[in-house]
Amino acid sequence: MDKNKHLDSVISTHQITKEEILFDKYVKKKNEVKEALEEQYGSNIYTPFNSGSYAKNTAINTKFDFDLVTPFKRNAFGSNGTLKEMYEDVYDFLYEKYKDVAVVKKQKVSIGLEFYADSDGDVIKIDVVPGRELSQDQYKEDENLNLYVYYKYGNIDAGSERIKTNVKAQINNIKDRATTEKDSIRKIIRLLKVWKNSKYNYPTKSFFLELITIKSFDSKCITGSIWDKLETVLEYIRDNVTKEDFTLKDPGNSSNDLADTLTSTEKQQLSDDMKNMLDRIEDNDENLKTYFPENSKFKKEDTNNNQYGKNSGMPIPPPKLIFG
Amino acid sequence: MILKIEKIGLSLEVEDELLNKLLEIGKTHYPKEFGGFLIGYYSEDNKHLHITDKILPKKYQASKYNFVRSTKGIENELAEFYAENLRKIYIGEWHTHPDNSPKPSVTDISAINTIINSKKTSIANPVLLIIGYSKTTADFGFYVWFENKLYKYE
Ligand SMILES: [Zn+2]
Repeated sequence: MDKNKHLDSVISTHQITKEEILFDKYVKKKNEVKEALEEQYGSNIYTPFNSGSYAKNTAINTKFDFDLVTPFKRNAFGSNGTLKEMYEDVYDFLYEKYKDVAVVKKQKVSIGLEFYADSDGDVIKIDVVPGRELSQDQYKEDENLNLYVYYKYGNIDAGSERIKTNVKAQINNIKDRATTEKDSIRKIIRLLKVWKNSKYNYPTKSFFLELITIKSFDSKCITGSIWDKLETVLEYIRDNVTKEDFTLKDPGNSSNDLADTLTSTEKQQLSDDMKNMLDRIEDNDENLKTYFPENSKFKKEDTNNNQYGKNSGMPIPPPKLIFG
Repeated sequence: MILKIEKIGLSLEVEDELLNKLLEIGKTHYPKEFGGFLIGYYSEDNKHLHITDKILPKKYQASKYNFVRSTKGIENELAEFYAENLRKIYIGEWHTHPDNSPKPSVTDISAINTIINSKKTSIANPVLLIIGYSKTTADFGFYVWFENKLYKYE
C-alpha cells in the first residue's frame, strides 16, 4: 500500500470545496444569525465575524467549525454589567429566537445552535461566542475580548469567569506561515481532524491540534513525504504532550495556555493514542486507513469528470514553433 | 500502445507502427533534432485520444539541441485529414532528443504555451511527444497540457 497516496486521497476527499453545497448552507445560516444579533443589539456590538476553522482554512468537510464571535462594547450591559450577564442575555435571545428550529445550548465559551436536519438531512451547527471589549473603544485598537467561561474548562478553575483572547490573532497565526510550510501544516491539521472526528466526543479541541501541529513544526525539522511529516508530528505529540513543562500558548493571548484545557488523564490518553496509532501502522500499513479514512461520500465523484477540451472547427497549428 | 494519466483520468492510444515510423524518420536526421505535427481524434466522451497520423514539416531548421518548424506548405495536408473525417484534427507536436531523455525542455514547455495561447489553434490540451533515442535505445515520452500543468502519460 502506498501510504502517501492514501493520505493525499484522505485530504482531497475531505477538502472543503467538495462540500460546497453544505458550506453554502452554513454561510447562509451564519449570516442569518449574524443579522439577528445585529438587529437585537444594534449599536451595542461591533460587527460579528466568523472565527471557525473555515476562516483558518483548516476545516474538514465532515464537520465545519463555524464560530460567530460577537464583540460587545464595554457598556453594552451597563457600566456594571458582568460577562455572565452578557452571556445569559445572548443565550436568552438566541433561545427565544431559535428554540423551535434548533437545539440551543450553553457551551464553554459559546452558545451552540444546532439546527434540526433540513430536507437533505444536513445539520447546521453554529457556535455564537459572546465577547466584550476590556474598556471603552479598546476593541478597535487591539481586537482583544473578554469571554465568559460557562463551565469548568479543563484545568482552568470554574471560578475564573473570564479569559482574554484575540481571536483575530489566532486566525493570523496560521495565515502568516510561509506558503509551502503552511500548506504542509494545513494538511497535517486536516488529517489530525479527520482522526479526531472519527472518534465520539474526543476531549482534545481542534484548536489544540492546530497549535500542537504548529509547535511541532517549530520544534523539529519536518520534511519528506506527507506520511513522513505526519509521522513526525504524531511522534512529537506522543513524546511531548505529557511532559510536566509542556505548554501550548494561544497566539491570541499568551497567558492562555491550551495545555490547560486537557486534564493529565486526557493528555496521557492523547499520548497513548498516538503511540498506538504509530505502532499499529508500523505493524501494517493498511491500518493507516482505519485512523485516516477517506470520505467515501466523495471518493467516487473524485474519479474525475475530466475531458479533453473540445475544439471548434479545424485547429490550425501556430505558424512557427521552437523546440529544445 | 495505450497510455493513461491516472491522476486526471485521460488516456491516449497510438499505433506502434506510427511510433516506429516517427523514430525511423527522426533517426535519419541524427545527430540533429527533428519533428512535426500529430493528427488524431478524441473519443465521443472526450476522455480518450487516438493519435492516427503525422504530418512532416516542409520548412524547418534543426541542430542537435534545437528544432524550429513552420506550417508553410502543410495547409493542404491538414485540410485533407479534416475533409476525410471532421474529427481528425491537429492535436499536438512531436520532436526528437538525440542522445537524450524524452524530457521536455523549458523551450518545449514554452512551445506548448504558444499552442494554447494561439486563438486559431483552439485546442486546450495539446499533446507533446518527445522521442529520446540513441543508437541502441528509444524512449517515447507523451505529455499533455491540462489545467495549467504538463502531465506525462504512463
Ligand atoms: Zn525538446
